[in-house]
Amino acid sequence: MRNKLIILMMVFLLALPACAPQATATPAALTQVRLPLGYIPNIQFAPLYVAIEKGYYREAGLEIVPDYSFETDGVALVGAGKLPFAVVSGEQVLLARAQGLPVVYVMAWYKDYPVAVVSKMAQGIKTPADLKGKKIGLPGLYGASYVGLRALLDSVGLAEKDVTLDSIGFNQVEALAADQEQAVVGYLTNEPIQLRAAGYQVDVIPVSDHVQLASNGIITNEKAIAENPVLVHAFVQATLKGIRDTIANPNEAYEISKKYVETLSSADETIQKKILAESISLWQANPPGQSDPQAWDNMQAVLMKMGSYANPLDLSKAFNNDFIK
Amino acid sequence: MGSDITTRQGNKSRHTLRMRSHWLGVFSLLAALLLWGLVAHYSNLPAFILPSPGEVWNRFLHALSDGSLLANLWVTIKEVLLGLLMGTVFATITGYLIAKSRLFEQLVSPYLVASQAIPIVAIAPLLVIWFGPGMSSKVLICALIVFFPVLVNTVVGVRAVPASLHDLMDSLRATRWQTFRFLEVPAALPIFLGGLRIGATLSVIGAVVGELIGADSGLGFLVNVGRGQYDTALVFVAIFTLVGLALILYGLVAAAERRLLSWQDSKIN
Repeated sequence: MRNKLIILMMVFLLALPACAPQATATPAALTQVRLPLGYIPNIQFAPLYVAIEKGYYREAGLEIVPDYSFETDGVALVGAGKLPFAVVSGEQVLLARAQGLPVVYVMAWYKDYPVAVVSKMAQGIKTPADLKGKKIGLPGLYGASYVGLRALLDSVGLAEKDVTLDSIGFNQVEALAADQEQAVVGYLTNEPIQLRAAGYQVDVIPVSDHVQLASNGIITNEKAIAENPVLVHAFVQATLKGIRDTIANPNEAYEISKKYVETLSSADETIQKKILAESISLWQANPPGQSDPQAWDNMQAVLMKMGSYANPLDLSKAFNNDFIK
Repeated sequence: MGSDITTRQGNKSRHTLRMRSHWLGVFSLLAALLLWGLVAHYSNLPAFILPSPGEVWNRFLHALSDGSLLANLWVTIKEVLLGLLMGTVFATITGYLIAKSRLFEQLVSPYLVASQAIPIVAIAPLLVIWFGPGMSSKVLICALIVFFPVLVNTVVGVRAVPASLHDLMDSLRATRWQTFRFLEVPAALPIFLGGLRIGATLSVIGAVVGELIGADSGLGFLVNVGRGQYDTALVFVAIFTLVGLALILYGLVAAAERRLLSWQDSKIN
């Protein structure tokens, strides 16, 4: 009797696994990636929000977490290999590479440089040459605004000593409204729209009307390209899809963005949609995502004239169009 | 004669202690530099993340030779000194009035305390808008950050004067000015100077906060330039220069304190 009991228990134990429900295959875990955007949550980042919401990044195995820290921090982290990607302006790539950071620009998001000089119409500043002798406010003597202004001045043979520059932080709208400055340097997608909405008549001189510069796009690092080109390609393609969807359906992109931009639901919808429309007008690279070698040449010329670095960089290593195909 | 020997022995042991303290300071500084160098060397971190002491020293020499360091240092020094002066004067006057008048204290204290709850970093951009991007906004930010510690110490110092000494002055029929000049000022000075020491080091922070928000010169501006060009060694140079400036200011106030309060030591002796 005892032996029968033992045998019965052994049979039961052997049969037990067969009775257990089959475990379903665990889906591959998504890799969480922090993506520095270099600015506060804003409708201008709609393509990223669309790509996240529609699962384009998930298809690439990525869970993207937008990060709104400073642009330079994002570049340094990508250069150090701590993060795989960041959204930055073109001049940051060359400035970083000049200091030995191995960052590579892999997708042009903006075709046109978004920086512009804005002034009240009463000032009569219609062309870059009219800036001579004027008092111009800008966030600081660094970054895209400064580079854009210097490029604009250079395009008409003016130097920094021909104007008076004031570092006013991100107070361009207030400074111009209060007539503290005769002109300010800002982004086409922001200051002109805000000023016009406040009832001011302004003149706008876009840098891109006078010189093509490498603009905002996606960067990665040389190590990621060498060791994981599939990931880089997938990320770029997912982002391009987000841009295409936003251009094709801005209203849908606007609604999706409300989830990611906390203040968007309560903001003035007319102004925010103008910002999105203006942003879309700057994204029209053809083909989408392609870097323009001339824009990079122009950017290097401007930076070297500014004294940012002495020896020309090998631009073929600074940008890469392989991942947009 | 016995007291002379005791005084000389006391001075000698104080001197020995001071020398030992100085050498310990030098030793700890060298140890910190060595540790930094070892971390920079063995961590394989690139220079834009952690430059070595040698790289920072070379960058310092470069900034010194091209004049950029001294030019920007001078701008920050001017802002600090003007801000310290402005903050100290207003804090001393306000603090004295608060100490002497309960009514005045009840009127202004809520605003003063509330103002300290506002982070200076949050209000600095507003000050730049209201007062412009020039030196005035930086001096004002500096003065605001110096104001409260000096104010508090002025109030405490004036109120700490014993009532018995006030009675003594009254019995001698001293005028208000004589009471202020010969009693309240010397009595409150030790505590007041303690607040000024704190204010002096905070004034450097105030000037830099203003420059970080928006400036085209100053050590804070150098930090921004270094950051914007991934020149981390330049950021280190600017930071160490700021530290040096703060230490010098602290030392100057401490030296003034020793001189102005030397009567305390001679009284004890």
